[in-house]
Amino acid sequence: MAERRKFKKRYCKYCESKVDFIDYKDLSLLKFSLSERFKIMPRRLTGNCKRHQELVTVAIKRARQTALIPYIVDRKNVVENPFELIR
Amino acid sequence: MNNYETLFVIKPTLTDEETTAQIAKVTAILEREGAEILAIDNMGMRKLAYPVQKNKRGLYTIIYFKAAGTIINELERNLKFNEEVIKYLTVRYSNTKEVAQFKKLVTAATKIEEATKAEETAKAEEAPEAEAPTTTTETVEA
Repeated sequence: MAERRKFKKRYCKYCESKVDFIDYKDLSLLKFSLSERFKIMPRRLTGNCKRHQELVTVAIKRARQTALIPYIVDRKNVVENPFELIR
Repeated sequence: MNNYETLFVIKPTLTDEETTAQIAKVTAILEREGAEILAIDNMGMRKLAYPVQKNKRGLYTIIYFKAAGTIINELERNLKFNEEVIKYLTVRYSNTKEVAQFKKLVTAATKIEEATKAEETAKAEEAPEAEAPTTTTETVEA
């Protein structure tokens, strides 16, 4: 059943750039693990390793508490450019 | 003694003097309780990701300090009752990796502080020179 791999092999972006700690104020680091509706992306889609996924979830939740990134983006509260805040 | 970092957001409606007074208030609490303030980082005015108490923007300030764990209650109590502070978050940096990151953040913040101070002094030196020509032009027009 040697099925060919259809997609590129995923890898942990944080491991590649050797991130030891993810700061909740550094939004450029959180960006990889957020969907366009600012949900936390699952590990099976981003390819993050378990250690970094745990770090990034904590960081994202802290950033949400301090209004750095939104909890939800819905149709009532339309953002023209969702990644305007992050750049 | 633990390493702590407190972020708080001040209402955007205040004047510059009032905001500095608010920041001084928080640092005064910390000093009274015996905390060692390492750095203060002014992130400046930012757009909030969602409205907080009907405010769309906020003035972010971060204080890095070393203190015993018992004072955090007192600090958060004060921030909670302060009506000008709309958000606050205190984070402890405990294990070795976190502490290393904490030190990095502190050095970065102190660097920014020094740079802004240097700019301010430079501006203060330039200001009298800049004022002089404007006054002369006014007299010419008059």
